[in-house]
Amino acid sequence: MKRSRIPLYTTWAVLIFFYLPIGVLILHSFNASRFSSSWEGFSWRWYIRLFAERDIWFALQNTVIVALSSTIVSMVLGSIAAYALHRYHTRLQRVHYTLIYTPLVVPDILMGISLLLFFVGIGMQLGLITIFLAHTSFCVSYVAMVVLARLQDFDDSILEAARDLGATWWTTTWRVLLPLLAPGIAAGGLLAFTLSIDDFVITFFVTGPGATTLPIQIYSMIKHGSPPLINALSTLLLVVTFLIVWLVQHLTQEEHRHEVD
Amino acid sequence: MSSHDHPGARRQTVAEWLLTAAPFTWLFILFVIPTALVFAIAFKPSDPWGGVGAGWTLETVRSLRNPNYPAIIWRTLWISAVTTVSCIALALPCGYYIARAPYRWRRLLVLLTVIPFWTSFLIRIFAWKVLLHPDGYVKRALVFLRLADADAILLYHAGTVLLVMIYTLLPFAILPIYAAAERFDFRLVEAARDLGASRWRAFRQIFLPGIRRGLLTAVLMVLIPSLGMYIIPDIVGGTRSEMIGNKIAQRTFVDRNLPHASALSASLTLAVMAPMLWVLYMQGRRRGETRP
Amino acid sequence: MKWIKRWAGLLLLVVLVTGCGRDRQTLYIYNWADYIKPGLIREFEREFDCRVVLDTFDSNESMFARLRAGARGYDVIFPSSYMVQIMQQHNMLLPLDLSLIPNIDYLDPDYIGLSADPTLAYSIPYMLSNAGLAYRADLVTDVVPSWSMLSRSDLRGRMTMLDDMRETIGAALKYLGYSLNTRNEQELEAARDQVIEWKRNLAKFENEQYKNGIASGEFLLVHGYNGDIMQVMEENDQVVYLIPEEGVSIALDEMVIPQGARQVELAHHFINFLHRPEVAAANTEYVYFLAPNVGAYELIDEEILNDPAINLAPEIRARSEVIEDLGEHNALYIRIWDQIKAAN
Repeated sequence: MKRSRIPLYTTWAVLIFFYLPIGVLILHSFNASRFSSSWEGFSWRWYIRLFAERDIWFALQNTVIVALSSTIVSMVLGSIAAYALHRYHTRLQRVHYTLIYTPLVVPDILMGISLLLFFVGIGMQLGLITIFLAHTSFCVSYVAMVVLARLQDFDDSILEAARDLGATWWTTTWRVLLPLLAPGIAAGGLLAFTLSIDDFVITFFVTGPGATTLPIQIYSMIKHGSPPLINALSTLLLVVTFLIVWLVQHLTQEEHRHEVD
Repeated sequence: MSSHDHPGARRQTVAEWLLTAAPFTWLFILFVIPTALVFAIAFKPSDPWGGVGAGWTLETVRSLRNPNYPAIIWRTLWISAVTTVSCIALALPCGYYIARAPYRWRRLLVLLTVIPFWTSFLIRIFAWKVLLHPDGYVKRALVFLRLADADAILLYHAGTVLLVMIYTLLPFAILPIYAAAERFDFRLVEAARDLGASRWRAFRQIFLPGIRRGLLTAVLMVLIPSLGMYIIPDIVGGTRSEMIGNKIAQRTFVDRNLPHASALSASLTLAVMAPMLWVLYMQGRRRGETRP
Repeated sequence: MKWIKRWAGLLLLVVLVTGCGRDRQTLYIYNWADYIKPGLIREFEREFDCRVVLDTFDSNESMFARLRAGARGYDVIFPSSYMVQIMQQHNMLLPLDLSLIPNIDYLDPDYIGLSADPTLAYSIPYMLSNAGLAYRADLVTDVVPSWSMLSRSDLRGRMTMLDDMRETIGAALKYLGYSLNTRNEQELEAARDQVIEWKRNLAKFENEQYKNGIASGEFLLVHGYNGDIMQVMEENDQVVYLIPEEGVSIALDEMVIPQGARQVELAHHFINFLHRPEVAAANTEYVYFLAPNVGAYELIDEEILNDPAINLAPEIRARSEVIEDLGEHNALYIRIWDQIKAAN
């Protein structure tokens, strides 16, 4: 039976659509011209200039601090939440589930303004701490959802077996449950990390003096910085992203092989 | 709920509360209370200098009927709707194709779809600014192909906002549709075809209902961020492509009118919550059904 | 599981490395973008062994809103004079200790008069700016020195105006021959209709991107601040600053120390540093805004000092105005600005 060719053509058109702007950006980061409208020869100058931009490194440092801390906290809170949701099926957990699920679908700008009003209301100094609190709040939900999905394929009888063999609650959790959940928790953490690193809107609302993160810095560069410098920075970030994606693929593949053995 | 039926139920309950306490408290303080605050402040008066006045008033909420708003609300709605429809229309064939591709291809295609989703949101928007520059490649190509004349302006209108929104939100539509399509049993489509259904009919009556949940998720994942979009109209939009998100930001960061910003946010929250709660309700019901 | 431990170790290392080196005093500055020579900040850091963190804003209103929204902890802020007045009315400023700022002796008395705070109790003048038009000489013909350029339909979609209610409504008020500090509703409504007419030709209301935009040819005519345009002219000699003959807005931007500042003494040193004649001169020669510093006048390149874009010609000067605080009439401007933004 002959299949339609529409899906094939659409898919490839969409992929070109996805990568064309990114490709042009990368190309332009090597353009000697200051205004990225015409090609004036190959050059590394924007990369060299980039390394001299102190503000970018400062912003990167802030971003990493926030992303790491909110990833760690949200991994802990999210995994606990997922386990509670999986383990108990009470009315409390129904409310709990709604509470976890809702932040996922609330637009960023609403989360930004509500947190801003809250922090101002309680008289909290805006800065890295408020950004950390805000990021953790949305990351918890993502981690919880990823771990919950993992738990759904989880065979609870393993835990019962461990308990039957005389393992304490602590040993069961620490030696059986956690190692089995680790890939899920790690995947959730990775998602949280990338979301935190990339968040602009919420950060924009709750940022304070000197608490510039990389997206805020990129935004102000788009507004009044030099375009080729942004191209160079974007290319570097893309390379890092590709590396991380490749690494994750690599690791999960290894994990799969392990499971098959 | 059967937790009281067996011995040790009390201990169970205590353990459950202990487990739930930390994430629950965190989200209660940093999500529920702030959201409630938005609704509360919407009923507060504002003083001209950015403070929140004392007492309660309906004035702020009433000012939403201000004749300046319908235009912006209407624009937000149609841009979001067109974005959603376009994303779904593009994502359906993609998800279908990826799901039916051979295993190795499938992995690669999924990866290629995920990578843009992982790259910086701002940078993907900025890339379009470069591309659509009056002397940029797209413009030159269009002029060369006689599709546009030399004075045509590609940036800074609602069409640009639409294009860039589709670009940034499309992966959110493809991934859930693909995930659903992957679990779909394509033999059903083939059976329908064997029974004489046209290709279109098999697609519409067998495939689409089969991936209903993925479709629903895709719609939400695109529609909700669209309704609250702020940054895309800000960067590539012009004087006539402001959306509600831009108005909220303007009220907060320029006019320093927090009650007004709250009133706008509260109405946006309601607009977003309505479809979401419905989906949650449907999912919750299904979740309940599958339980032992 | 090993890889998790390895990664955890690596992350810990990153945290430790990035967390170090934070023990020096840090001065937080909140300034307009491109409004201070970066080299001078480094010089100050070296001399006073501190670190300076610079955040930028793009309009007085957005800066004020950020502060009201809880952004405490800045040490020096650079608002325009009318905003200094508003901030002072809200007890947001610390009184200055003039004994720590001996360089005020160099301040040009002509310009201190423009300040809303001529006794320098809360604010020290920083620089003088005006907002006019700029165009691309190679791409725009038949240029007339008037705000009416914004009505040119052949430039449709390639022009911008500032996203700043006082500047943009002010430009229309000037064009119509009214005061840009008017409180008269009819005049404001006329100005509103004028801006709405211009808006049909505009690509954007924009406070920052217009600089790159005109340099790269994305925009052909922009409404912007004199020094910002002249910084662009340095990169692209086809850009020309145009002072509309109907008059422009003049702003005296000042330096203040807000309540909640942590490095009050260092902040005074910073203000004093910027008024050292050689520093003020270097700053003016870089940002192309005029520092009202008599000592610096002798050091600044003659050509820059006498540039009509920096030092307005007397007849234009006579038709130009300084933006003033409007008190409760501010709400009227916000309403007019809303109507402009919503119009089609």
